[in-house]
Amino acid sequence: MTEIQADNLTIAAALPADSDAPRKSAWRRFEPTILGTGTIVLLLLVWQFLPEFVPMKAGTKLFFTVPSHVAGTLWTMFATGSIWKPLGVSASAFAIGLVLAIVAGLPLGVLLGRSATLNAMVDPFITAFNATPRLVFLPLLMLWFGIGIWSKVAVVFLGALFPLLINTYEGVRNADKLLINVVRSFGAGEWDIARLVVVPNSLPFIIVGLRLAIGRAVLGVVVSEFFGSQDGLGVVMVRAASQFKVDVVFAGLIVFAALSLIMTGLVKLLEDRLTRWRPQHSNAG
Amino acid sequence: MAEDVAPRQNLAQRYRKPLLGALAVAIFFAAWQAIFLVVPFDPLFISKPNLIFEGYADLIESGDLAHDLAVSAVPFLYGFIAAVIVGVPLGIVMGWRQKVGYALDPLMTVFYASPLVALSPLVVIFFGVGVSGKAVIIFFLSVFPFVFNACAGVRAVDPLLINVVRSLGGGEGDLYRKVILPSVLPYIVAASRIAVGRALIGVLVGEFFAASEGIGYAISRFGDIFALDRMFACIITVMVIAVVLTEGIRWAERAAFPWRTGR
Repeated sequence: MTEIQADNLTIAAALPADSDAPRKSAWRRFEPTILGTGTIVLLLLVWQFLPEFVPMKAGTKLFFTVPSHVAGTLWTMFATGSIWKPLGVSASAFAIGLVLAIVAGLPLGVLLGRSATLNAMVDPFITAFNATPRLVFLPLLMLWFGIGIWSKVAVVFLGALFPLLINTYEGVRNADKLLINVVRSFGAGEWDIARLVVVPNSLPFIIVGLRLAIGRAVLGVVVSEFFGSQDGLGVVMVRAASQFKVDVVFAGLIVFAALSLIMTGLVKLLEDRLTRWRPQHSNAG
Repeated sequence: MAEDVAPRQNLAQRYRKPLLGALAVAIFFAAWQAIFLVVPFDPLFISKPNLIFEGYADLIESGDLAHDLAVSAVPFLYGFIAAVIVGVPLGIVMGWRQKVGYALDPLMTVFYASPLVALSPLVVIFFGVGVSGKAVIIFFLSVFPFVFNACAGVRAVDPLLINVVRSLGGGEGDLYRKVILPSVLPYIVAASRIAVGRALIGVLVGEFFAASEGIGYAISRFGDIFALDRMFACIITVMVIAVVLTEGIRWAERAAFPWRTGR
C-alpha cells in the first residue's frame, strides 16, 4: 500500500502540474466508490464462477447457487407476480406492528422523560425487555395470538417499541431546561411544553430510534415467519430451504434487505424535511 | 420535578430510583398473582407467579435447566469468540488502512443492514442442527458490531500519539500494540454489549429451528405442550441472563473507562 502511494507521488512530480491535478482529484473523489463497489463486484464474480473452477460433489451442488441464478429467480418471482401475496402479508405485519409501536412508544417516551417517578418505576421493565431478544416471547405470542398475522404484529411491535421509547425518552431528557422554563413563565401547561419545546427538540433522537426500529421490525417479521406462520415471505423462504431451493432463499433475503433499505431511506427523507429549521451544528443523537 | 430541588438529599431520596423500581417490580408480580382472584384462570393461556416459581424449582431440581443452559452456552461461546477474533482485527485494519476501509466498508454495511437471520435456514442445512450450525448463526449475527466499532475506534485514535510513537522510532507493530489497541478497547467493549444481544438472538433462532436440547428449544417445547409455568420460567431465565450480561458489560465499561461514561 505504501509503495503504491510512493509511486503515485513520483509520477505526480514528473508530470506537468496542470494536467495532473484534476485527474488525481477525480481519482481521489471516486476512490471510495470504485474500491467499495469493486469489492462487491469481485465477490459476486468469484461466487458466480466458483463452480467452474472448484469441482463439487453432487451433494454440495444441491445446496449451491450462483448470483445469476438468484437474480433470475428474483426476476421470475416479480414477473409472474408470485411474490406479491407473501410480500403483502409480510409487509402488512411489518407496517401494522411499526405503526402501533410508534403510536405507543412516542407518547410513553415523552411521559417517562417528563416524570422522574414514573421513569424510576418503569425503568427495570424497560431495561429487562430491551436487553432480552424479543424472540424469546415468540412461542408465547404464538399461543396467545395464533399463527396468523397477529403474532407477527406482536413480535414486530415488541421489537420496534423499545428503540422508539428509549430514544424519545433520551430526546426529551435532552430538552433545554431554559426553554422549558421560558415557556412555563409565559403560562404554558405540560401539554404546551411538550408541543413547543420537548417534541421538536427530541425529533433527531426519535428519527434515530425509528431507524433502529425498522431494522428490528424487519428482523421480527423474518423470524416470526420462520417459526410460526402460514404465509408470508419468510414462510416461502423456509419452505424453499427445506426443498433445497437455495436461490429462492437468497432472493427472499434480497427483498427483505431492500425493504429495510427503502424504509430507512424514507426515514432519512423525513428527517431532512422535519429538521430543516435546525442549525447544522445541532447535537443530533 | 425531583432533579430541580436543591440537594438536601437524605437516604431515601438518594435511593429513590432503585427503591421505586423494586417497588414497581413487586407490585407487578403481586398484581399478576392477584388478578386471577377476579379473572378466571386458564392454565393453557397464562401462568401465575406461584406456579412459575414451582416450575422453576422443578426445573432446577431435575437439572433440566442447568443442562439446557450448558448446551446453549457452548455454541454461544464458540460463535462469540470467533466473532471477536475475526471482527476486531478486520475492523482495526479497515480503520487504519484507508484503502482497505474504502474497499470493505460498503460490503460490510450491506451485510450489516440486511437481515442475515434470513439465511439461517440455509446455515442449518449446510452445518446441521448441532453446535456448529448454531455457532455459525451466532458468529454472523455478532461479528459486525465488532468490525464497525473497532473501525470507529481506530479512526478516533489521537494522531498526536501516533506521531509521538513514530518520532521516538516506533514501528508499525509498536503503533498497533501501544497506541491503537488501547484506544480501541473501549469501543470493543461497547461492541460486545451490542453483540451479546444479537448472539442471544442467534442462540434462540438456531434452537427454535431444529434442536433437541438447549434453552431456546426448551421454551418452544414447553410452549408446544402448553406447560406455561415452565415456559415462563425459561423465558425469565433468558431475560435475567440477558440483563446480567448487558448490564454487567455496561458496569465494566464504567469501571474500566470512566472517561467515557458520557456515552
